[in-house]
Amino acid sequence: MPSNRKTLVVLSAIGVTMLGLGFASDPLYDTFCKVTGYGGTPKIADDNLSEIIDRTVSVEFDSNVAQDLPWDFKPDQRRLQVNLGQSGLAYYTVKNVGDEPLTGVANFNVMPIKAAPFFIKTDCFCFEEQTIQPGAELSLPVIFFVDPQMDEDKRLDDVKTITLSYTFFPTEEGTMPAQKPAKTSGKTTAAATN
Amino acid sequence: MVALPGENISVEPSGYADDDKPKFFQRWFYSTNHKDIGTLYLIFGIISGLIGGFLSYMMRMELAAPGIDVFDSEHQYLVYVSMHGLIMIFFMVMPALIGGFGNWFVPIMIGAPDMAFPRMNNLSFWLLPTALICLLISFVMPGTATEGYDVATNGFGGSWVMYPPLSTTGHPGPAFDFIIIGLLAAGFSSIFGAINFITTILNMRAPGMTIHKMPLFAWSVLVTAFLLLLALPVLAAALFMLFTDRIAGGTGFFDPARGGDPQMFQHLFWFFGHPEVYIMILPAFGIVSHIISTFSKKPIFGYLGMAYAMVAIGVVGFVVWAHHMYTVGMDVNLKAYFLAATLVIAVPTGVKIFSWLATMWGGSIRFSIPMQWALAFIFLFVVGGVTGVMLANAGVDAYLHDTYYVVAHFHYVLSMGAVFGIFAGFYYWFGKMFGVQYNKWLAGAHFWFFFIGVNVIFFPQHFLGLNGMPRRYIDYPEEFAIWNQVSSFGAQITLVGVGFFFAMLFVSLVVQRKKVGDNYWGEGATTLEWTLSSPPPYHQFNTLPRIEDNAEH
Repeated sequence: MPSNRKTLVVLSAIGVTMLGLGFASDPLYDTFCKVTGYGGTPKIADDNLSEIIDRTVSVEFDSNVAQDLPWDFKPDQRRLQVNLGQSGLAYYTVKNVGDEPLTGVANFNVMPIKAAPFFIKTDCFCFEEQTIQPGAELSLPVIFFVDPQMDEDKRLDDVKTITLSYTFFPTEEGTMPAQKPAKTSGKTTAAATN
Repeated sequence: MVALPGENISVEPSGYADDDKPKFFQRWFYSTNHKDIGTLYLIFGIISGLIGGFLSYMMRMELAAPGIDVFDSEHQYLVYVSMHGLIMIFFMVMPALIGGFGNWFVPIMIGAPDMAFPRMNNLSFWLLPTALICLLISFVMPGTATEGYDVATNGFGGSWVMYPPLSTTGHPGPAFDFIIIGLLAAGFSSIFGAINFITTILNMRAPGMTIHKMPLFAWSVLVTAFLLLLALPVLAAALFMLFTDRIAGGTGFFDPARGGDPQMFQHLFWFFGHPEVYIMILPAFGIVSHIISTFSKKPIFGYLGMAYAMVAIGVVGFVVWAHHMYTVGMDVNLKAYFLAATLVIAVPTGVKIFSWLATMWGGSIRFSIPMQWALAFIFLFVVGGVTGVMLANAGVDAYLHDTYYVVAHFHYVLSMGAVFGIFAGFYYWFGKMFGVQYNKWLAGAHFWFFFIGVNVIFFPQHFLGLNGMPRRYIDYPEEFAIWNQVSSFGAQITLVGVGFFFAMLFVSLVVQRKKVGDNYWGEGATTLEWTLSSPPPYHQFNTLPRIEDNAEH
């Protein structure tokens, strides 16, 4: 029956399309998160040109290490009080307590998730892989600011604390470059200078 | 009530019974006959149900008292939990409802001689035993360890949701690879089946059988088949990704160390997983509609509303998946959307429930065995639906997430909703499929033990969940002991019910063999299967039936 064959082809095409969409969801989801800051992915910018306004948030620092990486990783300060628009500089210390040199890369996340689009980094150790010799200690800086536009969004009126969290993962040699978040358009920083 | 001598309306020309049935091996192993394949699916479902039921019985015995008594290790308990879920869903409910009753009755109800692609039908069935064997092999394969035979590490214990990293770095052994292969086989079996059903229903309806005259069971299978076709490839993609993630030096789709996101697996899984729950319940809706109508001697109330309510459930079912993941740290606006969309599903579901009630209203109701199962289905499904509405609220779910309340909820809609639908259909069509009627007394005993048993198992689990008992643990503190004990006692009652089911099968099929007529339910049964003999001829509708304009649904 030719009409049966036609239906078969159409239905198979639908099935294959859904299979393809399943695979395509990985790059789509990735792009979506980085562009929108959805799911707590913080954004990065070249420098901070924002106006400093009279509202403060407390930025708390958190650190984690994947279980197969023998590193001690701690923030030097528990929290930092910053005004919106003001750049903050925080340090983390990481020490290799294993017996061989290891390379790791840090992944980051921001809570609450709704604050993530406004939490912008200008410089971070997490943009690069870190190689540490056994017993060596490294001080890792991160420079960030909270976009003053956060003040204009009513949904974020209750945000008094933002937690920045890092997790160090071991890199497999040569397989994985450091996570590169998408850059913001510069629109936010440019607008804030006026 | 039973074995009413039906009137013999001859719709077939003489000589149609010369059916040339093939010999045993060819007939059952090379089968392309939709009724034989349906029977195979039903037998397969019963066997899987026994395996899955055994696993849950062992879990209940372990949980009967605090402490670890039955299992050797926590991991082994989790393996039983995971395999119970996977086997019941993919190898019991789906084969029985869609493969079994779907194959048996969809072609007959729409007046077709067979399925559109009989040989693909054969492939769909035989992929399933292959898949089940893969799953059973995973029991004895190293799971949390990479090698060696040890019950403490064998098998996959990451639950049916298979979230990474537990399913990737957490289970480096080959046990989970066997599950992936098995589920891919089962998934493709269902996709082929779905394509077959859609083509059959769209292209092979008898003259005069318009889509708006099609019986509701055929409607339900049509909607289900579309859900399968759209949802299962996504599961297949997610499983492929897990598979390549698990290879050392492979991909990192879900590995945060390599830029992946484990949360994405949850999105993919539940994009499949939520339609999957409707895949399991919609065919039961169809069956129950026929039974309520037959035993009330009235056509179904609001036929078009019933059909399109199923379509609506299917469509909305694709945009609510994240209500399974409220606790992943989701934006509050997103939660609000998924909450509202989830609550919307209560509307078409309510349309169905009230149409069933309206069908019975003023009807001349007979409480035969299938009707008892169907009424119990409605009652239990409403209980499960109401707790579902509660769980849909993101705020409430933060408290109840992964507690026994959730376990009670989805067992009320599945283990009691879908399974009661299966048994309702089984007793409704028993005489039609096998040519002999069931033993009424044993079937009644099966119903009452089963009905009381499952309620005793699952109702106390609401209390346990509200008190904060989490799921997927082998042990619990003393304060949860009483209701767990009651729940485990329910498992024993249910076991007696299962015993009566097999006694009923033996007595009805082997000992008594009480023959039935064509339309043994009489007046209310109006669909095409009741115009055929019981059991139907090996090849039916050599001359296609014509459906007149005034024919009922």
